[in-house]
Amino acid sequence: MTANVLVLFFAQSRELTGLKQEEVAAVPTPISSQDLWRLLLRRHPRLSVLQDQVVLAVRQQYVAIGDQVVTLGDGDEVAVVPPLSGG
Amino acid sequence: MSEEPRDVFRLSRDWLSVQEAVDAVNSTSCGAVSVFIGTTREDQVGSRKVIGLEYEAYESMAQSEFTKLCADIRERWPTVMHVCVHHRLGWVKVGEASVVMAISSPHRGDGQQAIQHCIEQLKANVPIWKKEVYDTQEASWKENLECRWSAHRQETPIINQQ
Repeated sequence: MTANVLVLFFAQSRELTGLKQEEVAAVPTPISSQDLWRLLLRRHPRLSVLQDQVVLAVRQQYVAIGDQVVTLGDGDEVAVVPPLSGG
Repeated sequence: MSEEPRDVFRLSRDWLSVQEAVDAVNSTSCGAVSVFIGTTREDQVGSRKVIGLEYEAYESMAQSEFTKLCADIRERWPTVMHVCVHHRLGWVKVGEASVVMAISSPHRGDGQQAIQHCIEQLKANVPIWKKEVYDTQEASWKENLECRWSAHRQETPIINQQ
């Protein structure tokens, strides 16, 4: 199965890709967060700057890059989340 | 007559009013309002001076993370009445407030503890980012020590939420 998702880029990831968001079609699902991150890296190699200091947020839930498997549906938001610095 | 507890979260491009945050948590059942104000320091980084901060947020998720944070506060300190957090977006000059928090409680003990926890957890979990801008026109994205996936942290992040 695949899903068309909306990827959101924040902070440094936005600067690295030059994009605030993009639609990514036909993302395999279910998918591990590691594979999802790799898919994003293939589209935007400059994101590798964030390697080991990034997590994703799928439907507004944080997901560490690793073995965790996520299921994606059409229209889901997947955010690239560099280290936080609010407050 | 019991009062409905309020959780108020606002992201604002305008300067923040401490009085507004205090008014948002006011309650005749409360003898204490605990307040925290985070302001922009004029840090020196090497030969460069910070002139301001640029803030951005994943707004919808910041709201949902704030809701979880308030639930956490209320579980730990059940006497807490109202919680209000106002946070800046956009450009914040040195000296201006970037965040104002106010928590009301019947007695000061719970409110004082809750407000400390509130700023710590905001820094750890709420998707907001700031970039320091220097007088040399360079800029650098900051990372909170509290954030589990920041470069400062040694341990592997284990933060998958159910």
